[in-house]
Amino acid sequence: MSENLYTYGIIEKEDFELDVEGVAGADRIYTVDYKNFSTVVSDIDTTEPDRTDERVEAHNTVLQHVLEYDGGRTVVPMSFGMAFKSERTLKHVLRGARRALRSTLNNIEGTVELGVKILTPADGAAPQEGIQATVTDRLAELSINETENDLFTDRLIVNKSYLVDRDQRDVFDAAIDEIGAEYDELIINYTGPWPPYNFVDIHIGAEQRGGG
Amino acid sequence: MFLVDDLLVKPFLSLLDILHTMAVDEMYDTDAIQDDIKENRLLYEIGERSEEEYQQRKQELETQLEMAQQIQEQMRGRIEIKQ
Repeated sequence: MSENLYTYGIIEKEDFELDVEGVAGADRIYTVDYKNFSTVVSDIDTTEPDRTDERVEAHNTVLQHVLEYDGGRTVVPMSFGMAFKSERTLKHVLRGARRALRSTLNNIEGTVELGVKILTPADGAAPQEGIQATVTDRLAELSINETENDLFTDRLIVNKSYLVDRDQRDVFDAAIDEIGAEYDELIINYTGPWPPYNFVDIHIGAEQRGGG
Repeated sequence: MFLVDDLLVKPFLSLLDILHTMAVDEMYDTDAIQDDIKENRLLYEIGERSEEEYQQRKQELETQLEMAQQIQEQMRGRIEIKQ
């Protein structure tokens, strides 16, 4: 039997199992401990899983369950596709990254990421002047940090990720609802909560995954 | 006469060359294709594209991206050989 572990994210040390389907149909989501950390994992038969919509969705769903587990957990997310040859290999990598992990977990404690994309309508109507600044200033006040993401289509006028205190989530949700009502000609794509992908800076290289 | 022919044809060849290069660049611009992939996903998420339309477009774009990456790879290889 394969010992490969597919990884979703890293949390403060805690043992639990989740009843949710993982990547590649995994039916058991559990934790592997290393010092003060636990990695959320599932079993998988390869160290290089193909990227499909379904698998990316499964990866995100598991992370969202962890984020909301028992009142909420802080998660350092792994990118899609990080699988390790064995528990030993995973722990070897965590040993190398432990300082960065500690500092990151401390920095993002109690936070979630929320995504806000605002689009102009399909009929090509131009947005009201200054709307971007009005909206983003308002959301910035409710967040701890924000990142500006790529405007990959002409219809996008805002594409930002916000780092928000878990306790402020309802207030942020309400602000989005108000913006939607106020500018009902615009289309708002509001997503999350996500683990703070855009606010962590830990890189675990692919070359480390197979080594031991 | 030969000279006149040459002068008449050359500007057109240059223009064609430029247009061809522009078309090739656009067709194999992997960043632009990646943007189209993201846009397709977003339009599906906001309900402007049906699941069927989304899947069909996604498949087209992924094929286009794969081809563009191969061409870019070949072009890089050709440049390296020349050096």
